[in-house]
Amino acid sequence: MQEIIGSLQYPFVQRALLGGILVAVLTSWMGILVVLRQSSFFGDAIAHSSLMGIALGLLLGINPIAVAAIYAIFVSFLLPFLRKHSHLPQDSLLGFILPFSMGLGVILLALIPGYQPELISFLFGSILAIGWGDIAITAILALVTFLVMFILRGKLTFASFDSEYAKVTGIKVSMIDTIYHVLLAVTVVAGIRLVGIILVNALLVIPASTVRLFARSLKDMFIFTPILAIIIMIVGLLASFTFDIPSGPTIAVTSGLLFLITLVFTKFK
Amino acid sequence: MKQNALEVKDLTVTYPEYANNAIENVTFSVEEGTMAALIGPNGSGKTSIIRSILGLIDYKGEIKVFGKPVHEARHTIGYVPQRFSFDPTFPVTVFEFISMVLSENTKKKHLISETLDYVEGTDLVGRKLSSLSGGQLQRVLLARALVKKPSLLLLDEPEAGVDIGGEQTFYDLMEKLVKDEKITALIASHELDIVYAYAQKAICVNKKMLCSGVPKEVLNQETFLELYGRGLKFFGHTGHHHS
Repeated sequence: MQEIIGSLQYPFVQRALLGGILVAVLTSWMGILVVLRQSSFFGDAIAHSSLMGIALGLLLGINPIAVAAIYAIFVSFLLPFLRKHSHLPQDSLLGFILPFSMGLGVILLALIPGYQPELISFLFGSILAIGWGDIAITAILALVTFLVMFILRGKLTFASFDSEYAKVTGIKVSMIDTIYHVLLAVTVVAGIRLVGIILVNALLVIPASTVRLFARSLKDMFIFTPILAIIIMIVGLLASFTFDIPSGPTIAVTSGLLFLITLVFTKFK
Repeated sequence: MKQNALEVKDLTVTYPEYANNAIENVTFSVEEGTMAALIGPNGSGKTSIIRSILGLIDYKGEIKVFGKPVHEARHTIGYVPQRFSFDPTFPVTVFEFISMVLSENTKKKHLISETLDYVEGTDLVGRKLSSLSGGQLQRVLLARALVKKPSLLLLDEPEAGVDIGGEQTFYDLMEKLVKDEKITALIASHELDIVYAYAQKAICVNKKMLCSGVPKEVLNQETFLELYGRGLKFFGHTGHHHS
């Protein structure tokens, strides 16, 4: 215990906790909409596709996260365009976008001479190496996402829960969908820096899915999901410092364990 | 003479995925303050007609609501869908479910409790959607359609998933709405007995228009043969006498 409290005095631990909490809040809000829309594969596909943006950034010597964000937003516009013209279901198109983008990303990385230590940190996150600049970017993204979500909360929730009826009542559902996809793309990329491409979907889906097991209302979902995500982040990070194990996977395992415990207590009691 | 609440003229719907038209040149009208039933077998185009009126699909032809082109009058239409286009197991209360259709600055509490009172669902307000029976959920769907006080109500097979007792309660409620609130209702239905007992007009479609008129006059063996490819026996009424 003393070891844990002691670790809090290190600036890198403070930065990791602050950045982690920001990402937890950001991904958990979006996660409610992801779970509501049953579109977790979209989050996963965006995360994996962004490897293409990261590789391009590394190859061109531009900030890889910025390029990944642009590429993720491009994918979020590409998807409805392809759906409209191909009449194929979303998961088939994501099944094309994910391996295509990821494959391109790996090929581009192969073109960069020498070993790419940064690649591993993008795959699994590097929360302990996070700087104040990363925290500032995450804070700005969280603020913008929160503001957009707050202003459009009614329409975003309605269009996510029952898009057909939302359309009947005059809501421009395709516009709301585009806003949702862009917000999701931004959220996923913001999470990549901290927990990595492979694990960011855990932060999106697991807290909201866990709260869904016991929530009695939509209001409960919006109150308890960020709280649970913050708990997961703090427990995961402190476990990672204490036992000297990688932070991203520890956070993912912590959230998975909490989901299993909640499942046992709510459904198998 | 009463005004027409709904006029549909030469309605044709084609889905890009299919070669044939879903419906072709369907024309009918529904008088204000009446209940009309849209009948036909599965795949006959009932849902396509309702979805065209709601603006959910592209169509050719003309649709007027209270004399206005439908796109100018959609705010006057309420809708009870056939299948759930949402996940009813998600933790959403009845209050939250109905309030989604209202704008942020509406006085939601009063409006929602008033509407739930009307559909005899006052005690459902705080319940989770997943805890409701088929009949209760159907009344909640009706309350959602009514909360914005529509003049025209479209219902797509509202009896699906509701037991016989619940079905009759639901149609009694619909009759009260039409009589007391002067709402016009167009109901796509499979239940011919119900249609016979409650509707003032039957509109029969099977991809094209087959009949339109007073149920006891148009719902005969000849129509059923055209609609379903065979004659049908039905009881004519369910103990409810329509005047």
